[in-house]
Amino acid sequence: MEYIDYYKVLEIKKDSSTDDIKKAYRKLARKYHPDLNPNNEEANKKFQQINEANEVLSDPEKRKKYDRYGKDWQHADQFDAQQQRQSQGRGRSGGGFSGFGGDDFSDFFSSMFGGGGSRSSSRSPFKGQDYSSELSLNLIDAYTTHKQTLTVNGKQVRITIPAGVENGQKIKLTGYGAPGPNNGPAGDLYISFNISEHPKFKRKGNDIHIQEEVDLYTAILGGEKIIETLNGKVKLTIPPGTQPDTTLRLKGKGFPIYKKENLFGDLYVKWQVKLPTKLNTQQKELFEQLSKL
Amino acid sequence: METNLISVDDFCGHYKVATDFVTSLEEYGLVKTKLVNKAVFIDADDLTGLERYIRLYKELEINLEGLHAVSHLLGQLELLQNKIASLKNEISYYKQLH
Repeated sequence: MEYIDYYKVLEIKKDSSTDDIKKAYRKLARKYHPDLNPNNEEANKKFQQINEANEVLSDPEKRKKYDRYGKDWQHADQFDAQQQRQSQGRGRSGGGFSGFGGDDFSDFFSSMFGGGGSRSSSRSPFKGQDYSSELSLNLIDAYTTHKQTLTVNGKQVRITIPAGVENGQKIKLTGYGAPGPNNGPAGDLYISFNISEHPKFKRKGNDIHIQEEVDLYTAILGGEKIIETLNGKVKLTIPPGTQPDTTLRLKGKGFPIYKKENLFGDLYVKWQVKLPTKLNTQQKELFEQLSKL
Repeated sequence: METNLISVDDFCGHYKVATDFVTSLEEYGLVKTKLVNKAVFIDADDLTGLERYIRLYKELEINLEGLHAVSHLLGQLELLQNKIASLKNEISYYKQLH
């Protein structure tokens, strides 16, 4: 068990007045208060230390005991016996904050003063801090319901990601945040999804848009083409005389609708008619003949 | 989406703050209230934020202007922390690939 120099913690001199202690405490509390330092374990620990230091130094009795036995706290029991003979039941004068995780008084404090400090009984429960995290997915990941493990504040959290989540969508996992101080409920975990774009499949809401090339002859004469969709291959019929940029809708072949089982958006296929760029002499002649018909 | 509403009167009674405090927070855009049947309510989802403002106001003696500035800076901090978390996730994703 290590001796804690409470004067050092509050950055004050040993002969500081109660006012100085109060000022120093308030100054440091503003710096390390957990509400001003979200997700900062170090600040939380520091806040607990300054709370503990204030608990002792702002109470004349505890300060006296600490000053006398601080480095030699094993003999503090003798001090208690002496004090009991003098008077009992003095109230606390610390005026400390409600605090966060205030049950974490140091072993040194417990050894000298017992328990977790006089203020614990008056502390009210708080909901724990909410955590937030961002999860990057690609479009194919977002197409199916799947599980992923992510690390939030050093802890592994396994979550199920429903198919159809949207870019920027935020989901709340109740109770997956920080534990609630003073037996309060745990905070929540907010996860926002960052879905990267796919080079081929462009998502618009629940619909998917793609562009497919079709050669000039198939566009004019008609034919068939097998294309890739997000859930397999599909054979499409290209009617004769298909114009460039003609768009075809395939109902129910788009993206799954979030939390609606077996419901999907549509797939839009835009035909890009590919014109030949290098014609041989015979082809050129045939095109010329065609143009004269 | 279903929302749970908490009466401002009940909230202020529980936390021993004047209802004016919530009104002032709303004027600073720090909380939104809803009027239902002439009674003022707050959304349960805003409770954590509101409790934080009360602690900062009462315990650190930060005034409303200060709370407004703190809220803005905490928002910026959250964005940066999210960005770091996202980059960390991205790094671990690419590490898994290699």
